[in-house]
Amino acid sequence: MVKVISVHSFRGGTGKSNLTANLAVLTASKGNRVAIVDTDIQSPGIHVIFGMDEQEMQRSLNDYLWERCTITEASYNVTPADVAKAGGSVYLIPSSIKAGEIARILNEGYSVTLLNDGLRNLCQELQLDYLFIDTHPGLNKETLLSVAISDALVIILRPDRQDFQGTAVTLQVARKLDTPKTMLVVNKVLPSYDPQDVKEQVSSKFQVPVAGVFPVCDEMIQLASGGVFSLVHPNHPYTEQLKKVTEQVIT
Amino acid sequence: MVEGNDNQNFLDDLDSLIQPFKAVASPLQGFLNDLHAKYKPITAGAVADYIPELAKVDPELFGICVVTVDGQVFEVGDTNKLFTIQSASKPFVHGLTLEDCGRDFVLSRVGVEPTGDSFNAIILDEQSGRPYNPMVNAGAIATAGLVKGNNPTEKLNRLLDMFRRYIGRDVYVDMSVYTSERSTGHRNRAIAHLMLNFGMVDDNLEDMLDLYFKQCSVMVTCRDLGIMGATLANNGVNPITNTRALDSEYIKDVLSVMYTCGMYDYSGEWAYRVGLPAKSGVGGGIVAVVPKLLGIAAFSPRLDARGNSIRGVKACEEMSKHFGLHSFDLHDDYSKFLKSLTRSGQLS
Repeated sequence: MVKVISVHSFRGGTGKSNLTANLAVLTASKGNRVAIVDTDIQSPGIHVIFGMDEQEMQRSLNDYLWERCTITEASYNVTPADVAKAGGSVYLIPSSIKAGEIARILNEGYSVTLLNDGLRNLCQELQLDYLFIDTHPGLNKETLLSVAISDALVIILRPDRQDFQGTAVTLQVARKLDTPKTMLVVNKVLPSYDPQDVKEQVSSKFQVPVAGVFPVCDEMIQLASGGVFSLVHPNHPYTEQLKKVTEQVIT
Repeated sequence: MVEGNDNQNFLDDLDSLIQPFKAVASPLQGFLNDLHAKYKPITAGAVADYIPELAKVDPELFGICVVTVDGQVFEVGDTNKLFTIQSASKPFVHGLTLEDCGRDFVLSRVGVEPTGDSFNAIILDEQSGRPYNPMVNAGAIATAGLVKGNNPTEKLNRLLDMFRRYIGRDVYVDMSVYTSERSTGHRNRAIAHLMLNFGMVDDNLEDMLDLYFKQCSVMVTCRDLGIMGATLANNGVNPITNTRALDSEYIKDVLSVMYTCGMYDYSGEWAYRVGLPAKSGVGGGIVAVVPKLLGIAAFSPRLDARGNSIRGVKACEEMSKHFGLHSFDLHDDYSKFLKSLTRSGQLS
């Protein structure tokens, strides 16, 4: 049975796409078949982390939602060499980065049922073990659908009051949608803070487990979404943390 | 106090925002998707073509919609395509006339006895001179003649208002279907004259037939039919708008006639196999009712020889069997269905 995992943050700039990419790659490194769907149709970006540029992107989630192609036809095999060696694979269904196409989907909307059918079909056709959904910040159709069909929801936040308030909203929605498993990841924590303290404070505030606390990381900033961190820096403590989070998310 | 109310409103808004997504993730939605995929390939049967307007419909259309008495909507396929309600209008107009004229008077004009004859048979009960029941054409024409109103326009508006209460949106008569029905409705006209001969209807035959042709030409979607079924299941109150569409006094009249007569000359077998009050129309719609629980609607234009939607009958039959919805399936108490509404398997 395929497991669906959504990664969400109520506000932008939390590091959501980078976390999604790393969780997906680390999951695939264990020999799993994994796909990532970028449902952030208003501000797509995860394709950049996999080195995909606009010219390469022949088809996108948008084309599927306009019924121009099947969802599998909009998928790209972006399996990194190391992951392939481990017997895993990573597929990416990007959202269009063309301004006109983003505008069109915002203007016209799309059928949530069609998106749901597409996600189901994708799981079957690619024989996936895990489906990761990179969502758009805030509450919108894509996010609500993603949370509704997810087996696990990972909410990423910074230690910031605005993020705290937004996280409370997302958690309220997740509870209403009967999400079986919800966990938090705190990112961009000042190095002077004690991660264990942060973890305890945040989990007691929201009554939800905190899967990981990540300090601000120079190498992550330098990478600037130019690659998947855990592959570029396999021995970095940050990668060790990512592996621990992955373990909690997929089990 | 004010704060509490605001919070309550917010929660209501959040619930209504979330409900469709909850539905999408539910096991029931998965079941409906599978059911739709299973019967979608069936191409047996033929669309009604006694008037050219009906033959124009895309025969591939297929939708299934389930609406619970607490207003949750589950749908798959072509549930938003408009089609003419045709005979599926009959139970609802029957309900309106019960409110207008009372049970005894309606019974004096139209019986409640199933016939083994086809829906358009030119036949009346020899003893009483009445049409057999309000679900066959003869009975439905006589029923249309009982709708109250000072003039044809007022009668039509009362009829349309009744449909609006069941559906929760504005409804219209498709003029081209209506015009065709009227210009080719010689058989229905003959039935009306026969009833006039027995003194069962008043002599304003053309007005009565006109209203009947219009009621058959009301445009609905599969989703609309699902809500109409759920309204009957919910004791006459539309579960989405909370508007009363039918006096609860007459729910049992409408449902029992649907149960015994609703599926034309397939009614007996339907009652045995599916076990639910239902009504079909030659537009391809079927509405079925699980009292106190839900309305089920199916739409697929290809019909069997009796005039029932082939895929619609199959979908209803399988759904009834799967969830134990048959009226006389007493061992389950609907728990399987209730569990399918949320993915956590718990009732909300």
